[in-house]
Amino acid sequence: MKYDFIVIGAGISGITSAITLAQNGYHVALLEKTNRTAPLMRGFSRRGVHFDTGFHYTGGLGTGEPLDIFLRYLGVSDRITSFPFNEDGFDLFSCENPGFEFRFPTGYERIQEKLCEAFPDERAAIRSYLAQVRTTCATIPYLNLDLDIDPTGALQRVLGQTVRETLDPLTGNVLLKSLLSMHSLLYGVSCEEVSFAQHSAIVGNYYESVRGIRGGGLSLARAFDTRLAELGVDVLCNSEVTGISTGPGGVLSGVQLADGDSLDCRAAIATIHPRYVLDLVPEGSFRPAYRKRLGNLEDTVSAFVCFATSKKPIPALAGANRFLIPDPESIYQLDNRPIGKAPLYVSAAYRDGDIEPHGFIGICPALFSETAPWESSRFGNRPPEYRQFKEQALARMQDQIERVFPDLAGNIQSIEGSTPLTIRDFCSTPLGGLYGVKHMVGQFNPHPATRMPGLFLAGQAVVAPGVMGAIISGFLACGTILGHDLMKKELKACC
Amino acid sequence: MTDQEIIEQINSSLAEEFEFDLGEMTPETTLFEDMGLDSLDVVDLVIVLETAFGMKIREEEAIRKIRTLGDIHNFVINKKRQMESA
Repeated sequence: MKYDFIVIGAGISGITSAITLAQNGYHVALLEKTNRTAPLMRGFSRRGVHFDTGFHYTGGLGTGEPLDIFLRYLGVSDRITSFPFNEDGFDLFSCENPGFEFRFPTGYERIQEKLCEAFPDERAAIRSYLAQVRTTCATIPYLNLDLDIDPTGALQRVLGQTVRETLDPLTGNVLLKSLLSMHSLLYGVSCEEVSFAQHSAIVGNYYESVRGIRGGGLSLARAFDTRLAELGVDVLCNSEVTGISTGPGGVLSGVQLADGDSLDCRAAIATIHPRYVLDLVPEGSFRPAYRKRLGNLEDTVSAFVCFATSKKPIPALAGANRFLIPDPESIYQLDNRPIGKAPLYVSAAYRDGDIEPHGFIGICPALFSETAPWESSRFGNRPPEYRQFKEQALARMQDQIERVFPDLAGNIQSIEGSTPLTIRDFCSTPLGGLYGVKHMVGQFNPHPATRMPGLFLAGQAVVAPGVMGAIISGFLACGTILGHDLMKKELKACC
Repeated sequence: MTDQEIIEQINSSLAEEFEFDLGEMTPETTLFEDMGLDSLDVVDLVIVLETAFGMKIREEEAIRKIRTLGDIHNFVINKKRQMESA
């Protein structure tokens, strides 16, 4: 049997691609190497508390906003229930030295007002920064459906100024610069590397509105499963792709699977890490220059992550995340501080059906090299020294959280964690990058079209990390195949 | 580096990275028609030149005007001269 399209990888970008192509009448197979779709999005449960590993909150999900339109187009918006995060403070910036707190509200006007209250001498800088975010955010393809898709438009996010280069001339206030850069934790690239355009495309949506999904990423994953089944997409789990086959003219003709099977297709979209794509294509199908570019892409920082359950509910975390910032400069680089001195992000975890959280997840950026001594180990065969190292890392995270968040001291019931090694193995990123490939000034990330006819790329490396970035990357890949005008027309019909 | 050395280094880098035949590369060779590059390859072209000459190319406009191999030679030579005089 021959498929029209095969999509490799059933993360959000793969699911988006498969749904889009199936909705356009094509016969599609969606291949996933693990035993279920969207494993990262699903998260896991401990002691009745659900921990999200891939989705914590999002911008752009308010009625009529981009993500709301995208989910309607994908046929899942009626299957999930979203809720607003605290409009007066969806994120709490909590700086230890100097002691300073700021609750980030939603809505540009309110953000401006509250920032100006906190930094009365910096009104001009604040206005200029917010105005620039607002105009730049609207120039990203598909976020703005009236915009023409220019394949070289992405260059702005590669050649433009960094966030730091944009902020430095505006203000000398280190605390303000740190506060405006704190959301770099949401995409894993420091303000000294990320372009202002990329930063704006991500934070601009959060500045408009912030929402969560009841039941977390798991609800979204289940909604996608239902939709895929409804459309007749062949979802093949435990199907690892080990090679891509080509026919005359080097045109893609199918894929080979780990179990020895092969599937034929007209074209394929690979949503895996671009470096792994190099292992799949036959020798000589990419020119050395392109092969090197994909092979040398730098990944985002990795992380230590803790998952804690609490004895009592933690109402303070409901609808509001915390950014624990040891000192303002700690946000400038994300990869040079040990736990305790590095920024730490804390987000709520809920028991099924509860409104008040009964646990939390903490994320602290870290280098993969910290776990390098055990890099040859895999799930289930980690040595005792590694487990000891992990326990110590968790204890240090717990110390930092309790130090800044005294109401949690004595309230933690259980704590588990993951390290850069866990992320490497669970997220299939070669060096445990928390958000896959970096989007930074000077690094040319891949475009959906590749040098092999019939092979297209999607995934966070192409556009941006997060649900929004993954979905847009799926649209860009499908738009490259079906025509961007058609895609935009279909999306506009969902506005 | 003399202009001739720069030209030779450009040609050998491009021949290696894009699998061109050195013997067929002249200043009049067009990148898009003769060498079969497309807009996507421009990115790789920029990276190859940046790596070969240890420079950052951020001027999007100048890059967009490049049509022939000779245009690349002139672009890099000018850029090198600018760097030396800076």
